[in-house]
Amino acid sequence: MSKGKKKYYIVIHALHIYFGLFISPFILIFSISVLAFNHMGFLNQINPVKSLPEIRTKLDYIPYDTTDLLTAKAIIHKLSIKGEIDFIIKNEDQISFPVNKPGLITRVKVNTHTDSVVTTRVMEGSMRAMNYLHIMPGQHNAKIRGNSLFLKIWRLIADAVVYLLLFLILSGVFLWCYLKFERRKGFYAIILGFLYFIGLLFIIL
Amino acid sequence: MNNPFSIDNIIYWNRKLHIYIGLFLLLFILFFSLSGLLLNHSQWKFTSFWKERNETEIITPLAIPVNLDSVSLLHNFMEQLNISGEISNVSLTPDSINFRVVKPGTIQDIHIDFKSSMSDQKKIVFNWWGKMRILHTFNGSEKMNPGAHPNWLVTRIWRLSMDAIALGLIFLCLGSWIMWYKIRNDYSMGLIVLILGIAGAIFFIFLLRIL
Repeated sequence: MSKGKKKYYIVIHALHIYFGLFISPFILIFSISVLAFNHMGFLNQINPVKSLPEIRTKLDYIPYDTTDLLTAKAIIHKLSIKGEIDFIIKNEDQISFPVNKPGLITRVKVNTHTDSVVTTRVMEGSMRAMNYLHIMPGQHNAKIRGNSLFLKIWRLIADAVVYLLLFLILSGVFLWCYLKFERRKGFYAIILGFLYFIGLLFIIL
Repeated sequence: MNNPFSIDNIIYWNRKLHIYIGLFLLLFILFFSLSGLLLNHSQWKFTSFWKERNETEIITPLAIPVNLDSVSLLHNFMEQLNISGEISNVSLTPDSINFRVVKPGTIQDIHIDFKSSMSDQKKIVFNWWGKMRILHTFNGSEKMNPGAHPNWLVTRIWRLSMDAIALGLIFLCLGSWIMWYKIRNDYSMGLIVLILGIAGAIFFIFLLRIL
């Protein structure tokens, strides 16, 4: 290996190690949650959700704002609840919305006539917390998604994990190219993976 | 190297498998990374799929078999209509049957009237962006019935493949920790980086909900 090439190799090898180590816990979240999504029945058996006692309270007034989201945010601020507002249902009698955190769903129902509030909480456990993180921010309710700080940060992390993973793929191939003894078997692994992937797409589409 | 469970042997095979599994999963990782990005960025105009969908409606005469249970009935109708896919949303009444058949990129809502012996197929076909999105989440699970198993062989194969990819990725991640540990003196920052990653993951999974 020439000096110039060696310099690139050393830098890319170091970045492959550091980026790989940093995103590996997040890749574990995405991978473990795939197993949980695919075997939901089993997950429900080993880790059932736990409902916490209902809380009834009353607001001094409903802090109506210019949008439903801002109103819902003002309500949860008054109730000292933190989390991501998933969606909002509003009609003449009530405003209701779930407030999510990984592993915890809080459902808030506000009676607009009496200003009374019913709050129910469901503890979903760590596996479902990973499932939640896997699907967030996701494709649904894009207009209101990211209304909490933690989800804004998670959105950045999820994107960063994907971009770093793409870097790891490219750098991994680059590093493999320099391993003379692994070239042939590695090449077979790529071809096998390629054929398997294309074959699967062929039968499924 | 004689003892297959010796530390040296484990390290040796871990490194080999890290390379082979990583290369084998290359296209899968690429696919799920890119489709994951699509799902998280529905505002990207160039990946729009819903507006570009192609909707058609086909009305076909059918032979209605008698004395069949609902599963055999469904398979009989699908054979007559020459369609395949994951079946869901089945509702059977004395006069009709409604069901949905999904393949990544194609959704067919079918209504069959037993009295008139006619089937009404409403078919939606998505572009490649839509197919990618559906493939990312296609595992035969139903929201209302999470314990349900896939009823189409291809869905089972795809789901099994997703399980295998996930297990492969878990192996790559845990194996990378072992590989780094062996060269930790040359890459001492690795410990800080790994702790940062683990701390971030722990925060989101365990701590956030109690804060």
